[in-house]
Amino acid sequence: MYLGGGMKLENFQPNALGKQGGKILRLPTLALWCKVNGMESNWAAEHLQTIRTLMERSAVYRRALAPIMFFVGSIGVLAAVAGLVFRLDSPRAFGGLWLGAALAAVAGAFLIARRQAFKDREPFWSPPTRRVTQALLPPLTAGMFLGVVFVLVGLGNEFALAFIWLLFYGCALHAAGFFVPRGVKLFGWVYIALAGGCLLFLVIFHPDVEWRAHWLMGFFFGVLHLVYGAYLYLTEKGKNAA
Amino acid sequence: MNPEPFFQLDRVIHEKGRLAIMSMLAASPELSFTELRDALTMTDGNLTTHIRALQQEGYVAVAKSYQNNRPLTTCSLTPTGRKAFAEYINLLEQIIRQTRLK
Repeated sequence: MYLGGGMKLENFQPNALGKQGGKILRLPTLALWCKVNGMESNWAAEHLQTIRTLMERSAVYRRALAPIMFFVGSIGVLAAVAGLVFRLDSPRAFGGLWLGAALAAVAGAFLIARRQAFKDREPFWSPPTRRVTQALLPPLTAGMFLGVVFVLVGLGNEFALAFIWLLFYGCALHAAGFFVPRGVKLFGWVYIALAGGCLLFLVIFHPDVEWRAHWLMGFFFGVLHLVYGAYLYLTEKGKNAA
Repeated sequence: MNPEPFFQLDRVIHEKGRLAIMSMLAASPELSFTELRDALTMTDGNLTTHIRALQQEGYVAVAKSYQNNRPLTTCSLTPTGRKAFAEYINLLEQIIRQTRLK
């Protein structure tokens, strides 16, 4: 019986290591032959699918994270300053200002990533970019809907809206963190822990505090992004693969 | 079915853990030891053993450096490793084609 590689079953030596094209086969040839014959027709296809999944998982989105963080942070600080200076304190004005800021931040982040991709002559809408967008989309959309409801109905407390946004944003970062460098997932946890802790502290110990929510938004969406951007700028090795 | 392509499969790459490492490295210029370990949920010892086996075959290059005063081990595919991986994929595709023709 023919076993392949010029070997016949009659000549097969149990436990002998077969040789094929100069490479030592680690399994006895008979075992390999049995494997081949017993192989399901989709075995190789499943193997290829596993390889593809692993390769996709490995392609981590690293493009222009530091510039994006700087940009988003700057928008956050500017929006907070505008809100404080122009006294945009009504729920509608507050919601409108920060929804606009979010829209500008998202659009700007996409443009920065796109420019970087074109500069590196890489496709912008790559699988990692798609996955990051898909991960960010549900929590950000949920936050946007809540914001729109607050603006349209003029629902009471803008302080509550700010915390809800912060928690949603933390969830969005954490979800995206599976497809970007690990620090972003931690950054998401920072948002959730700080915003949640801060909210809990205020509700329990200072329920009557009258802060202006722009300070809160300015710190979380402005200063924290700038700090993380500076950290990335100083620690990243300039990898921009996506 | 002609078993030839199966016999030509590189036994070093064909092992589950090493194939996963090669697949991850094929999609990235380089990955740190920690990134690989976390992504593949392998133990340090297991990953080290597989990487050493791949390194001995000349498929993977390991570089040691420092980042923020911490040792950083990065792995990448060598041109030989990339070629061997491409051949492995080709053989898998050949096997698929054969089973479809059967």
